[in-house]
Amino acid sequence: MVSWFLQLVSRVRGFFGQKVADCEFEDELRTHLQLLWNRFVDQGMPPEDAAVAARRQFGNLTVLRERQRETRTFLSPGVLVQDVRYALRQLRKSPGFTLTAVLTLAFGIGANTAIFTLVHAILLRSLPVADPSRLYRIGDLNDCCYYDGFENDNGDFDLFPYDLYLHLKQSAPEFEQLAAMQAGGSSFSVRSGSSTAKPLRAEYVSGNYFTTLGVGVYAGRPLLDSDDKPGAAPALVLSYQTWKADFVGEPGMVGSTIYVQTHPFTVTGIAPPGFYGDRVVSRPPDFWVPLANEPMIEGAGSSLEIQGEEDTAWLYLLGRVRSETNILSLQTKLSGALRQWMAPRPAFNAHGRAALIPRQHVVLAPGGGGIQKLQQYAGKGLRMLMILSSVVLLIACANIANLLLARSTTRRAEVAVRMALGAARRRIIRQILTESVLLSMIGGIAGLAVAYGLSRMILILAFPDARNMPVQTSPSLAVLGFAFLVSLLTGVTFGTAPAWLSSQAKPAEAMRGANRSTGDSSSLPQRALVVLQVAMSVVLLAGALLMTESLARLEHQKFGVATANRYVVQFDPQGAGYTVDRLPELYHQIEDRLSALPAAANVSLARYTPLDGSIWGTCVIQQGHPAPGPNDKCFSSWVRVSTKFLDSVGVPILLGRNFSAQDTQTSTPVVLVNQSFAQHFFPNQNPIGKHFGIVSPKNSGAFEIAGVFADFTDPRGEVTPLFLRPLAQRYAGYTDPEAISSEKSSMFVGSIIIQFTRPQQDAEAMVRRTLADIDSNLTVFHFVSYDSQVADNFRQDRLIARLTSLFGILALILASVGLYGVMSYFVARRTSEVGIRMALGATRWSVLSLVLRGALGQILAGLCLGVPAALYAGHLMTSFLYGVSGFAPFAFVGSTLILGICATIAGFIPAHRAASIDPMRALRTE
Amino acid sequence: MSTDKSEELQGTLDLMILKTLHALGPQHGFGIARRIEQVSEDVLSLNEGTVYTSLLRLQQRGWIRSSWGVSENNRRARFYSIHQARAEATGR
Repeated sequence: MVSWFLQLVSRVRGFFGQKVADCEFEDELRTHLQLLWNRFVDQGMPPEDAAVAARRQFGNLTVLRERQRETRTFLSPGVLVQDVRYALRQLRKSPGFTLTAVLTLAFGIGANTAIFTLVHAILLRSLPVADPSRLYRIGDLNDCCYYDGFENDNGDFDLFPYDLYLHLKQSAPEFEQLAAMQAGGSSFSVRSGSSTAKPLRAEYVSGNYFTTLGVGVYAGRPLLDSDDKPGAAPALVLSYQTWKADFVGEPGMVGSTIYVQTHPFTVTGIAPPGFYGDRVVSRPPDFWVPLANEPMIEGAGSSLEIQGEEDTAWLYLLGRVRSETNILSLQTKLSGALRQWMAPRPAFNAHGRAALIPRQHVVLAPGGGGIQKLQQYAGKGLRMLMILSSVVLLIACANIANLLLARSTTRRAEVAVRMALGAARRRIIRQILTESVLLSMIGGIAGLAVAYGLSRMILILAFPDARNMPVQTSPSLAVLGFAFLVSLLTGVTFGTAPAWLSSQAKPAEAMRGANRSTGDSSSLPQRALVVLQVAMSVVLLAGALLMTESLARLEHQKFGVATANRYVVQFDPQGAGYTVDRLPELYHQIEDRLSALPAAANVSLARYTPLDGSIWGTCVIQQGHPAPGPNDKCFSSWVRVSTKFLDSVGVPILLGRNFSAQDTQTSTPVVLVNQSFAQHFFPNQNPIGKHFGIVSPKNSGAFEIAGVFADFTDPRGEVTPLFLRPLAQRYAGYTDPEAISSEKSSMFVGSIIIQFTRPQQDAEAMVRRTLADIDSNLTVFHFVSYDSQVADNFRQDRLIARLTSLFGILALILASVGLYGVMSYFVARRTSEVGIRMALGATRWSVLSLVLRGALGQILAGLCLGVPAALYAGHLMTSFLYGVSGFAPFAFVGSTLILGICATIAGFIPAHRAASIDPMRALRTE
Repeated sequence: MSTDKSEELQGTLDLMILKTLHALGPQHGFGIARRIEQVSEDVLSLNEGTVYTSLLRLQQRGWIRSSWGVSENNRRARFYSIHQARAEATGR
């Protein structure tokens, strides 16, 4: 230990004063040699012989000097600079090689860094809040957005009603603060001053939200508990980004009034720059509103106010625990409090449901990263891309190792000369490694640019509607560090074999026959690398084919709805200040005015449109049946639609009739059901004329089935029972307050579907103008062709499929180039051999087959390794695939064929070159 | 494998140098090499420059010290000697 320390100290000292030490050492050497010489002369040797003998006796001077220098201090900077300069000179001497290598590396390292950028920015980040490690979330799942009753089959609770939030907050003083926030989010129309309303995202949060997170404000004050009391003046906090972008950073914003869904709110503060709320999402909230304001904004649809006997669960809970809290015992305690809260409530104990209470529990999850919604959505895909991109990098490494091997063989003579002149083996290895690492560093720098572009592209493709998305693609310190490490590792990986092989060169042998050789020691590793490349490329190609096929199946499903020439407008009459009794008038106007547009065919209104990702679900009770128990499958989706809805989405009636103008408030309440509804609830019966209801058995005769329409599917090809109710009929028979209010809020539609008879170029402008004419307060949240709305469902699948294909193609190119390089190199080396063979009577054909045989051998070996590996990869990818098995033969046959053809061509070109060698010329070159 | 062997050799050389200095008192590199040549023939055969690597390392670890003097042929030479305090501390 002591001596080790002393050595360190003297090395540090040795770092300075190198020149002096060098001179002194030279003196010592000279004295020593002189003394040796004297001795040999005394022994009777002639002076010249004595000098040679002294040198021989003393050993390799250069190596000794270098070793002395190295021992004296750390890796000598002088040597390093020398190595780097030498390496740069070498690289400059062969620009073709350098460019190829740097480009290959840039793609390999760039792809990895791009994926890492996203992993770092999405998966590994903490919320920009004070001490995120003490934040814990009650609940570890991401159910959304409104639930009644039990949540998950295993009893895991993650979505909470307001009343339960208060109960848990009270029973767990271990939380310094426990905040509640809306699980979903809403778009509201917001107006300030005289400007037109804009659609902005809002999130309802408890008054202690900012205190819990430990976040201050940029200006004004944060929301406080006093803002979150019934009767408190409506207040909100704007996000910094929104303040800058939508309110031009107006300094007078704090304290001013803005109108949310026509209700006046005071802006109490502006959140700090960079604060994006409690989760990473593509559209973070533009402002935060206290929970207490929810009933005012949502009106009849409020989730906060308890209506009837069921509490709606709609909140996530995130709290800051006191330091040194035992998380496990807190979790047990909270689970107990949850069950205690449930026990007396009919929603959880009626109809035999009490049996499910004992299994109800909560899980405390670390909350420093916020609500892990996007992480869960994107995590799996990102992890797969990470694996794929590292395979690409491995292939790139193999390619460059191959290039270097080829180079090192041609540089054998040079290395031999250097060794003969006294270069140490270690020095040569270090020098070649320096060159590789330098190369990979240059590649890494170029890769950063590729990474920046690629990660931006991925983000834009994955989240086209992103606004203020808190994911940065500019290289952070972590990303730079990652790129540096990957480059270093890459350089060492591809540099080791060539460095080792060239240091094995035997100077004498190499100098004797510098360019004459048939087989050489480096050919085996080179062949092995090509085999490896082929194998890995097969894996990537097979993966790409599987993903592409899966995407094609997803996109070309028969959803059962027609989308051509149709557009969907999302809007919000409630936000424009409409009340239920004024709605019929508005709906008529919209239908009439839009139908009058040129080439418009059917116009309809609907709460949700098929394939837009939302549903309203309820429990169906057939007439005369008792209330369903906890295990009865009574679930059905339902949508409130206008008369022409089915026509506008091209879904046919199979049985009975469609809605008509005769279905009014005073006529029999009718519904249309889909096939699977009819089969599920009325198996083997004629459903027409049957009655059912929702909410309670009292109402089970509420609706009469008037017709059955064809099933249409959700994006994953699944069909659930569905019924439609006409906008013209509001059911008046409910007595339960919650049922009454939810019936009321179902009258507010969210979408307009417009079908044109032919493609319409300026549909958007026309529709927007018409709506503004009807009421200038009507905000259009979204205008989209129905085709692209459907396509949006597969955005992530498409992105992963594209990237997998990109990586597959990259792998194919790299492997082909690699094989081509190795084969051309062999041909060049064996020119004279081929010349001799031909001079001795070999035909062109036999030369061609000689070379091609070598190439085919490597391809076949690669395929033999690659196909089983690809089968395994396919097995791992199963969860990403839709309608395709991970073992689908086409993928393996296809990838084998593609690779086989490309590789054969890559091998054929040099083989052909060998066959056209002129024997006379070949022999003369020697 | 080759590193093992060279390390072992180096260890042997270090020890021989220390023994030499202990037996003969201060010596320069040439003198040490001659003594080792007498004691064992194969350690230094044809490569006696390596004693300098050992000397530098021993010096760095504090086992020996050096000072400048004049050699038999009237040249400047560095004389190495055992660092007494350190040798006694480890019980030699």
